[in-house]
Order: sequence, then C-alpha cells, then structure tokens
Amino acid sequence: MTSPSLVRPAAAGAAAGMAGGAVFGAAMASLGTLPTVASIVRSDSVAVGLAVHMGIAATVGAGFGLFVANQHVRRSETLFWGLIYGGFWWFLGPLTMLPLVLGKPLAWDLANAQALLPSLIGHLFYGATTALVFVALRRDTGGGPRPRLGTALRGVAAGLTVAALLYLGFDRMAGIPLGWLFLVGTLAGLGYPLLFGPRREGSGPAAIRGTAYGFLCWIVAGLTLPPLLRDGALNWSREAAASAVDRLPAYLLLGAGIALVFTWLGGLARWLLVDDVRMLRVESPGARGLRATGHGALAGLTGGLVFSVVMVLVDALPQVARLVGAQAPGAGLVVHLVIAQIIGVSYAVLFRRRSFDLASGIGWGVSYGFLWWVLGGLTLLPVLAGGEPQWNAAGVAAAFPSLVGHLAYGAALGAVYYQLEARANPWWITRSEFEAERIVALRDQTLGSAPALWGLTALIALTIPVLISG
Amino acid sequence: MSGAANFGSQSRRELPARMGLAGWGAAAGLVTGLPVGALMGYQGMLADRGIGAIPGWGPFVLYATAAGAAIGLVVAYRPRGLAVAASGGVLIGLLGWLFFWLTLDRVLRGQTPTWSILAAAEAYPELVADLLHGGLTGAVVHGLFSRRARRSRSESAPPESEQLARVVIVGGGFGGLSAAKRFERLALRGAAIDVTLISDSNFLLFTPMLAEVASGALEPSHISAPVRAAVVHTRFRHGAVEDIDTDGRTVSLIAGSAPAERIPYDHLVLAVGSVPHFLDLPGVQAHGYTLKDLNDAILLRNHVIGLLERADHMEPDPRERERLLTFVVAGGGFAGAEAVAELFDLTHGVLHYFPGIGPDEPRFVLVHSRDRILPELSAELGAYALGRLRARGIEFRLGVRVAEASAQDVLLSDGERIPTRTFVWTAGNRPGPLVATLDGEHAGNGALVTDSALRAARLERVWAVGDCAQIPDVDLDGVPFPPTAQHALRQGKVVADNIAAVLGGRTPAAFRFRTLGLLVALGHRTAAAEIRGHRFSGLAAWLLWRGIYLAKLPGIEKRLRVLLDWVLDLAFPRDIVLTTRYPTESTTPARPAAPARPARPTRSAPDGQSR
Repeated sequence: MTSPSLVRPAAAGAAAGMAGGAVFGAAMASLGTLPTVASIVRSDSVAVGLAVHMGIAATVGAGFGLFVANQHVRRSETLFWGLIYGGFWWFLGPLTMLPLVLGKPLAWDLANAQALLPSLIGHLFYGATTALVFVALRRDTGGGPRPRLGTALRGVAAGLTVAALLYLGFDRMAGIPLGWLFLVGTLAGLGYPLLFGPRREGSGPAAIRGTAYGFLCWIVAGLTLPPLLRDGALNWSREAAASAVDRLPAYLLLGAGIALVFTWLGGLARWLLVDDVRMLRVESPGARGLRATGHGALAGLTGGLVFSVVMVLVDALPQVARLVGAQAPGAGLVVHLVIAQIIGVSYAVLFRRRSFDLASGIGWGVSYGFLWWVLGGLTLLPVLAGGEPQWNAAGVAAAFPSLVGHLAYGAALGAVYYQLEARANPWWITRSEFEAERIVALRDQTLGSAPALWGLTALIALTIPVLISG
Repeated sequence: MSGAANFGSQSRRELPARMGLAGWGAAAGLVTGLPVGALMGYQGMLADRGIGAIPGWGPFVLYATAAGAAIGLVVAYRPRGLAVAASGGVLIGLLGWLFFWLTLDRVLRGQTPTWSILAAAEAYPELVADLLHGGLTGAVVHGLFSRRARRSRSESAPPESEQLARVVIVGGGFGGLSAAKRFERLALRGAAIDVTLISDSNFLLFTPMLAEVASGALEPSHISAPVRAAVVHTRFRHGAVEDIDTDGRTVSLIAGSAPAERIPYDHLVLAVGSVPHFLDLPGVQAHGYTLKDLNDAILLRNHVIGLLERADHMEPDPRERERLLTFVVAGGGFAGAEAVAELFDLTHGVLHYFPGIGPDEPRFVLVHSRDRILPELSAELGAYALGRLRARGIEFRLGVRVAEASAQDVLLSDGERIPTRTFVWTAGNRPGPLVATLDGEHAGNGALVTDSALRAARLERVWAVGDCAQIPDVDLDGVPFPPTAQHALRQGKVVADNIAAVLGGRTPAAFRFRTLGLLVALGHRTAAAEIRGHRFSGLAAWLLWRGIYLAKLPGIEKRLRVLLDWVLDLAFPRDIVLTTRYPTESTTPARPAAPARPARPTRSAPDGQSR
C-alpha cells in the first residue's frame, strides 16, 4: 500500500515534471528531435514523440518529487537539485538507456556527447523548470523567509557592483567587450535573492552556489536567449555553444561575485542596522580564525605540491615565474606554492566549519579549485603575466591541464583542511545540547544543497571538453 | 569525550576500522563496477584498453576496486547522507578519472601525461563510466554503512556515554589545563573518556607576568586566558572542591550558594597548585601582601598608588611619611626579585605625578634568608642581579629572616625594625590545603608524594601534578622535580597519557623532563637568564624574557594584547588610576587569618621559584 506521505510529493513531482517536459518538449520541437523520442515506440511521429516525452517527463518528475521529499530539500535549494537531476538523466537517458533500447552503441564518447549537447541543455531546462514548479506546487515545503524589496535591491546592488568590477578590470583594461554585463548583472542580481532567498550562509558555500548560478545564467542568457531573440529559434549546437564559451568565464565570475557581494552586504547591513546582538555572529573572527589560517596555509601547500606535478610535466612553471619578472622554473615553483598557500588561507576563511566529513571537504575543495581555475588560470594569471584573459574556446582548451591541476589542488586542499580542522576542533563534539542543535542545523543547511553544487561543478568541468573539443 | 553532546558515529576511526571501510568500499566498487564494466565491454569500449598481457577489462577492474576503496574511506554513514554519499562518489569518480585514466594509465603505457583537451576527449567514455560508477558506489556504500549503523545501534546495549571513563581534574592552572588539553587530543583519537575540569578561577593565570600587573605595566585580564576558551570540548565547573572521598571516588563541589554537589570519578587528577605559607610568623599573614593571583596584584598596585597619594600632600609626620614610602619584600627568589624590581619601576615611573615626593624618598628593601638572591640561578647571575638592583638603590638584607610584621613595620631576625606600610611576602609557599585532607603520603612541605608515573602514593586512582605534588625524578635517583610551570605543563600531558594508558590496559610511563631554562626579569630593560647552561644578562636577557614569555602566553589574542601594552608603555606613562575605594580597600591586604577556601591553583614555588 502506498504511503500518503509519498503520494503527494510524487504527484506534485509528476505535475512539475509535466511542466518541465512542456518546456523541454517545446525546445525539442524547435530543434526537431521529437521523432527520435518517438522511435522508442517504433514511430517517427512528432505527436507520438511528444506524448512519449511527456509520459517520461511525468514519470521522471515523480521520481524527483520523491527524492526531494526523502532528502528534505528546502525550497531555496530545490533549483540546484533540479539541475543536477536533469543532468543525471542526460547521462542515463540519451547517452545510455536510449541507445540500449534502440540497440545502438552507448553514446559515451565525446563525439556523441557533442552531438547530444542540445539534449543536455534541454535536460537542464527540464530539471530547473521541474524544480521551480515543484516548489510552487509544494508551498508547504520548509524554507527560509521570503525575499523582501530590500533583499531584491541588495541583489541588484551586488549584480551591478560585480558587473562594474569586471567591466573596469577586463573591458577597460584588457579590451574585452563587457558592456552587456550591466544588464545581465542587474537581472542576475535580482534573480539571485528571488531564487534562493535572503537566508544567511557562509561566504564560501555562497561563492560555489554563485558559480553554479552563473553557469545557469550563461545557459539562459548566454546560450539560449540570443539566438531565440535574434532568429526566433533555439540554437544549442556545439558550434553555437563553443562560440558562447567566450562569455562563460564572465558569467561564472559574475555569479560567484553576486553571491559573495550579496552575502557580504547582508552581513554589513546586519552589523550596521541590527541592534539585537543575538542576530549577529556569536564567534568573533579572531577567536579561531588564526589557527584556521595556519591550517589553510598548510592545506594549500599540500594542494600546491600536488598541482606542481602537473605544472612540471606541462612546463607551466616559467609562465608562473613571469608574475615576478622571472623565467626560471624554480622561481615559478616558489611563486606557485606561495599562491597555493594564499588561496589555501582564503579557503580557510571562506569555508571554516563548513566541512562535516571528508566527502564535503573534498566537495568544497574541488568546487573552490574549479572557481580558481576560472579566476586564476583563465583570468588573473594571463593578465598579470602581461596578456589577456583566456576567455575563448582556444584559451580554455589550452588551459585544460590547468583545470586538471586546479581540481586536484582543490581536492587535496579540502581534504587536508578538513582533517586538520577535525583534529583540532571537531564539529561533532560539543559542550551542550544547545550547541549541538545549532551545529546540526548548520550542517543540515550547508549540506542541504551542497551535494548538488558539487555535482554541478563536476558537470560543468566535464562539459568543458564537450564545448571546446574538436 | 568530555562534551555533553558527541555525535559518536563521527569519531575518528582507528586504522583497522579504516582498513575495514576501505575493504567494504573496494567490494562495493567491484560490485558496481561489474555492470558498468560489462556494459562497456559489451559495447567494445574496453577492447583497446589492455596493457601488455593485461586484458582490456583489467585496468577498469583495478580502477573500480581502487575507486571503491577511496569512496569507502571518504563516504561514511550519515543520517541524511545518501545525496552526500552519491555526490562524494561522483567527485571521487571525477578525481579518479583525472588520476587513473589521464595520468596513471598513460604512465603504465609508457607515455607522459599531458592532461590536454585531446587526452580528455580520448578518455571521455571512461569519464562517463567513472562518474556513473562513483555515484552508484557512493550510494551502495551509504546503504551498507547505514544498515550496519542501524544494526549496531539496536544491538549495542548501553549508550556510549555510559561507557566513558570519568576523569575529574581539580585545578585550572598550568598542570590541570595541560592535562585537559591532552585529554581532548586523546579523545579525538578514540579514548573513551569523559573529562570534567573543576577550578575556582575560570581562567589560567600566566604568573610570570603577574609582577608586571602589580606594577601597572600590564592589564590584569591580558595575562589571563579563559579556561572555557582554552579547552572548548571539556566540561568546566567553576567552583571549589570542598573534600574528596577517595573510597567512594567522589569530590564535593561548592559552586556559589548552591548546596555541595558530589561529582563521581574513575580517575582524579589533582593540580591544585600552591598557596602562600606564612610559617606562623606573627602578623605576617595579616599584614603581608602576597603575589599569587590577579587580585593580589591589583590590590598591591592600588595600595602603592594610594600611599603615594597620601605621601604627596597629606602626611606631615616624617615617621609616617617614611613608612608610606618604604616598601619591603620578603623572599629573594624569582617572585621576590621581580616584585621589588617592578615596585621600584612603578614608583619611580609615576613619581612625576607626585611633586610632593622627592626622588630619593622612596625606599625599597629586600629581605632574604640566604647569603645570595636567586639561588636557582648560577652564583654569577645571582651576583649580577644583586649588583644591578643595588645600583638602583634597592637595599638588601641578606642572611636574615622576617620575624614579625605589623601594620607599622617589619621586624627582622637580627632585631632590625623597618618601618613600612607595604610588606610583600614571597618567602614561602605550600600545596593547596585540599591536599592536606587526603590520606596519602605527604612530603615535608605537605605536597602529595607520587611515584614517577604521577600516581599518588597510597591512594587509588588519584594522580597529582604541579606544585601540589612531589614527583621523583628517576634520572636523578628520586630527587623531586622542582615545582615550576614548565614542569607542570609537561606533567599535565603525561598524566593524561598515563590515565589513558591505564584505561587501555597498558603500563603508565615515568615522567621525565629536564629544565629548559630559567628567566627572571629585573625591572627596566634588565633580566637574567640561564638556558641549557647558557647565561644571558642585561638587555639581551630582557629581550629573551619578553620574547619567550610572550610566545608562551596562552592564546594569540592575549599575546597581541600584552604586546600592545608593552608598545604603549614605551610611549605613555603608567596609569595611576585607583580602581578601589580609598583608603580602606587599598591599604590592607584584607586577608583572613586562616585560609577560608580551598587552594586557588597557582604555580609559584616555595621561596618564590615561580618558573
């Protein structure tokens, strides 16, 4: 007998899946791929394809509803789960199950993945729409306070601030046309609090959330809307995506920046305007921050040593050495390790007490490493070495070894930092039930959406070859 | 662990348990690798993946097993952890792809890894397979461990908290706090202990700088570190232990006005330090100032400033004026030498505020029973200190003792009577009075005699460290260790290790330590130090003193505050604000005739050996 507690989320999920399926179906109709779906039932009719597609969408949506209910996902966290859920079904559906059902080889190779890139984008739209509609249908789902006008204005201010910074840094200084960022930044800044609410969170998790949000913005505003507005039709082809890669780093940095500035502005507003100290931080930053800084430096050094293997084998150290006007690999190694420690310290500042197990340490570390590939490897390193940001397909392709190094660096950084923190001040040992409740609440909030963010980081990283290879 | 709440399933796992996790993870990785690998093999994706004689599926099986082991180590049971586990598996899959297929596989084939976009494109099927495998393995591992955790919860009879050994530490000084810190570290390594620290002061007092508080050079709270901040995972009880029942293994805690509470223990660590010992000399306890805790230092500073205020205008009687401006310190050890030097600096440092007092009027006298001061240091350094202090005008009465004290003067054993309103007693200490209530074996000074492993003689499950214990040095034929802070610190660590050893069925180790060095500050830019046989004096020793003790001060915050105090001291005169009501509170030590409370844990040694 089916439990009533499962029926409601499954039904809501199915309805939301239908909505997501409608969006995805419209895109498939525009792209002309519905007959492929119809081939599952040995047909080539568009109507049959749409019917099959909607049936699958409702079923998969019901699964999403059950998953969200089982994981107690909060309203503001559902969007990322929807995105990762859609991405997961791209792997399982078009790349794996559909070929098997049709008796064809698995589509796991890069050429097929590139050919199926429109399907990936469609699946992400499906997941996002399903999540948003599910939230709308299930208003009883727990979540934080709803955003107010002030929060929305804070988001706009954050968007404009980051857009201005990127514009001043890379349009005026490096000659990359970024005037469009002001409009996108305003809209993205407005959308951030509307989607995720005004709740307080740590700066580090916010930055990772913002990076994923930036990727979502790129898909919508960078990849989907321009051809739709210009030609009245979608163009999610690999070629179109490859040309849109030029703007992907800017979107990622914009998203991360919006999340950070939005969080900091919230903290500043609380510090200035809130007179009830209970609403402010209990622990002063200096109380344990210095030890955390040392841990961050040590963890960063470890990650830097791991990264050094890649740097040495691809002969990238001389490029790093140019940051200080030198050319010798030894100087490059020293500079690289110093930078690794500085980033490690920043990781400690941003992610202190946000790792609750080794998996979450690695998750935050890998995500932070990816963010630094965009900010450091693609942007700051070439600029500081006298060049331009590598914000194009060729530059991203050339920097792929650096992506590998940054991910390995992040993994080592997050894992070592978690171990050091757990050794010195483990989160799971508390002096009172009150403190335990507070920490459990923090853990639940932090890990509520974190796995989806880590998964999205992995998805973005593995999408890079799809976008730029060939 | 000593916390009230402990998420037991998160505790650090020992090596065998970690091996078990890896083993289960490897098995799960192999199981989930089978369908993924079979699918790849069926599709012909593994045909060209062989290395030498190893067939194409070999590397994938190797990868699946290794990745599974890594996922087993990384992904442990969580109450809401399916998503975390699966995501962790996906991340391990991504990293495994980077490490195995883009790196190790290339190396095994004799190629140099390039990590280029072309290499990534070539290995893209493995990336998809690894992410799928990782996610599945993470979910399976989570299922395995959540099932095991549920089973262990239902089968294990008593809750974890009931299995913890109860350790009670009495005293929050260097020894007690050091033991608590060590217990925290041991608990993180899996020791099943529940630690309660009891102290009647909720901070650790850094006694080497106490004289500077008395002289107004440092703020009182800057040389004190809160116990709760120092041992964040230890249960702390602010109160005094009234008595100890070693048969019933309980201590009686008095906290505020609440009735006495009996706290049970399995092992008791006594670190109650020492209290001033007045040798039953008439009037000494009633009229002598001591320098053992913050209150003493604040009281003494206010008293001196108050006397200067009186002497400046209000005192016409020359005899009384002499009393007001004469400062007598008894004891030529570290505490006495530092006290007289700091009183000298304080008085002359603020004298410009008091135009009615001539620069030659203040008189400082140090009384010491031996023929040279600072007997812990070499004769040369003792003579150096004596010479420097004498050169400033400080008088010494060597080879005589204080015989009697009154509100008017101090009588010495040679019959000399020194008129004074300020008499500082640093010439004797004894273990905290709580020690005397125990049945164990006591040394001549009342300290609890222990064996070399810090176990109190003739007492079951009672351990003692610091000034309240007499601990034989096995390397020196049982000669007791000196009661210094550096010894107490290390004894605290050893006693925690030894208790953990006993709980684990192992033999406790003997305490072994050689004194690192001795430093004494002699006032303005001068000190004497002896470190590992090397002698320092003058400005170099003073810089050494400040550097070493600043580094030893607990907590970066306190270090910064003290450093700031010292820097400000260079630019501004010392404060002469009286923080007590004049004149009643500032002119008497306000000490009862007999100790009314158990010992405050302090760290000074007999005859002022406070290092």
